[in-house]
Amino acid sequence: MKLKKSLIFAIAITLIATIGWELYWRSNGFVASVDDNDALWAVERAKVDKLSKDDIVLIGSSRVHFDIQLDKWKEKTGRKPIQLACGGSSPLPIFHDIVNTSSFNGTILVGVTPPLFFSTTFPEAQPWAWPLARVNHFHDRTFAQRLNHQLSIPLQNSFAYISEAQGVDGLKLEELIGKVKIGERTIDPMPPFHDFSVTRLDRNVRMKKRMETDTTYANTVKRVWQFFFESGGPPPDKKSTMEFFLKDLEKFKEKGGHVILLRCPSSDVFREIENKITPRDTVWDELVAKAGVKAYHFEDYPQLQNFTLPEWSHLKADHADYFTEELIKILKQDNEIPNQ
Amino acid sequence: MLFNSLSFILFLIIVLALYYSKILNWTNKKRMLLLSSYVFYGMWNPPLVILLWISTMIDWTAGKRLAVEENQKKRKMWLMLSMFVNLGFLGFFKYGDFLLENFVTIVNSVGIDFQAKPMDILLPMGISFYTFQTMSYTIDMYKRKTERARTFLDFALYVTFFPQLVAGPIVRAKDLITQFYEEKKATTNQFIWGLFLLTIGLFQKVVMADTLLAGTSDDVFGSTKLLHGIDAWVGTIAFSGQIFFDFAGYSTCAIGIALMLGIILPDNFKYPYASLGFSDLWRRWHISLSSWLRDYLYIPLGGNRHGITRLYAALMITMLLGGLWHGAAWTFMVWGGLHGTYLILERLQRRFLPFEITKWNGMFLAFITFSCVNITWVFFRARTFEKAWDMIKSMFYMQTGGEKILDTFTIIKVTTVIAILFLCHWFMRNTSMKDVSLKTSPYVLGVVWAIMTFLLIIAQGSGEQFIYFQF
Repeated sequence: MKLKKSLIFAIAITLIATIGWELYWRSNGFVASVDDNDALWAVERAKVDKLSKDDIVLIGSSRVHFDIQLDKWKEKTGRKPIQLACGGSSPLPIFHDIVNTSSFNGTILVGVTPPLFFSTTFPEAQPWAWPLARVNHFHDRTFAQRLNHQLSIPLQNSFAYISEAQGVDGLKLEELIGKVKIGERTIDPMPPFHDFSVTRLDRNVRMKKRMETDTTYANTVKRVWQFFFESGGPPPDKKSTMEFFLKDLEKFKEKGGHVILLRCPSSDVFREIENKITPRDTVWDELVAKAGVKAYHFEDYPQLQNFTLPEWSHLKADHADYFTEELIKILKQDNEIPNQ
Repeated sequence: MLFNSLSFILFLIIVLALYYSKILNWTNKKRMLLLSSYVFYGMWNPPLVILLWISTMIDWTAGKRLAVEENQKKRKMWLMLSMFVNLGFLGFFKYGDFLLENFVTIVNSVGIDFQAKPMDILLPMGISFYTFQTMSYTIDMYKRKTERARTFLDFALYVTFFPQLVAGPIVRAKDLITQFYEEKKATTNQFIWGLFLLTIGLFQKVVMADTLLAGTSDDVFGSTKLLHGIDAWVGTIAFSGQIFFDFAGYSTCAIGIALMLGIILPDNFKYPYASLGFSDLWRRWHISLSSWLRDYLYIPLGGNRHGITRLYAALMITMLLGGLWHGAAWTFMVWGGLHGTYLILERLQRRFLPFEITKWNGMFLAFITFSCVNITWVFFRARTFEKAWDMIKSMFYMQTGGEKILDTFTIIKVTTVIAILFLCHWFMRNTSMKDVSLKTSPYVLGVVWAIMTFLLIIAQGSGEQFIYFQF
């Protein structure tokens, strides 16, 4: 058996094929970036337990994730917040976890996207199940999983083809095969959804530049939002979500913790739909009144308005910097965060 | 730690570097392997290494006493101690909740209102494998079929040897412990062949099972709808392929890794989906478990030595318990029961309707066997009887108008993969990978190896757990 020859031949072909694969995807506009997965979230969540009273944790859905820029925050306050927001999710399971399993008693900024915040407390509903899976992963992760994540970081940072993205942007073999469609035996009514974020190791997210320059690309995301609006879905569960949050809020306050509520900007069709299903006066205003904490709605501050939201829901990257800066000014004026 | 993970690649590189370094003598190399095996297991849940230690200590002590004890009563006592501890672990960790649940059902059925909170016991990874392996040692010692392990280190390494610790092959003491007595070092060809087997194993798991088949089987068996017949069949054959590639993939990795260390592990799969009947199937599927069940359950139950009725009873009991070994649920018992029924029917056929297997009817017979095996997988994979029954109804069109959830390409993909799998098994059933590779040009072998490695790289497996870890 001439296995040595086979091995050398196999290594050479594999190397050539892998380099070609990487170059092909790079030539198609893909770049190496970190996946915002459960493992990355768990690393940030673990940091919360070691924070001091002066530190800040950000929770919420994708708007807090896109709109608050960690570098800008650090530049203006001297402290970098921990980013724990999750796209398409209710912040309640994460808030519940921090309040009940962590000794942290600093400041938690809670992003309120009303259709998600007030969506549900049903454990298997998507806005709850997603963040809960992350919380569970944080508590249950094995040493092997932690090591796997650490070892994967240099690879994620080096190769564009290494990506956990799904759907149209997916580059894993399973995703590539999944894009092949023959006939119309089953129809997936959801339009293709592009991932328009770039995630960093500290979970800071910025909107892809292409969203600003390529209207067609941005419109694909708008079509997905429209699909969700048209599909409807269960009505908000204001009563149980509010009760759930207020109970944890009381507990957190008793521990000496401090909470800030933030309503990030939305525009056009998105804002119209939100006003329809979660009107400000009956949802946000009631939450603020019952919570008894400082709350900031973008509509109440001229400096938090008139931004560019390429797909109606998230700020483009440089506007996110500006939004963060203006928000910090307001928070400092109100003594909600230390004025350093 | 999973073979299909980055941490394992790092782990293996370190182990191999230490194993082949000149700084350690053979005893220290074995110590290093033992420590590595505990690290390998402990990276999942460190406290559960204690169970391994207890099992090792008890069986080492029992084996030591069985080697010198002549009093039959005392010998039996030592054997019972070993079985009590190992089966006790299995009973508590694996079947605790199942037993409690059934107890509550029985008590309620006689009119006593009793509710019990599930204990939610964590199932230690691979407990069914290492307890069976270590029990085989004490049983063989009791029957004087094997010699006592020379040192505690050899025995501890036999129980814990990381390549086969969590999902087999379940190796007999005489086949593995003796290999630890003399220094082992893989030849260059063995090492490269081991690496090739590791690649094939990972390819089977990551590309074939997880990438090509798992999604379809999960969609079908996870659906709460009554499905169209095609969807039910495609989901079932997808699982059939998935479980083969997943488990055979693990075994191939284990054999390959051990070979890289110069240790030979037995084959666990021999192209089972081209089996000609069910006796043949169990000589080809999970060979180390089926031979364990044959030697330590079927034969002690009487085997074929006490007439037809006893033979059938022994077969059925063995298969039912074999089913239960896989999981604490009645669906696994049904799976085992179906296989027991197949084996009995096959023996009846051989007795009353014998026929010669030729190359012409062989493939048809293999296909019939494979189809019957697929039906049993429905009960193995379905989480409830309701789901299993819905699947059976859909598969045999007893229910019309089922929901279509699979797209055309998925159906083509799965049926193509399974057809190729079946044909490969058919053409390979009387040969081996080693024989085929010997006849293959090194360049062709290199290209095949490269294709598998490249597909593994672009599949980017996300570290899915092997199905058999839960057993």
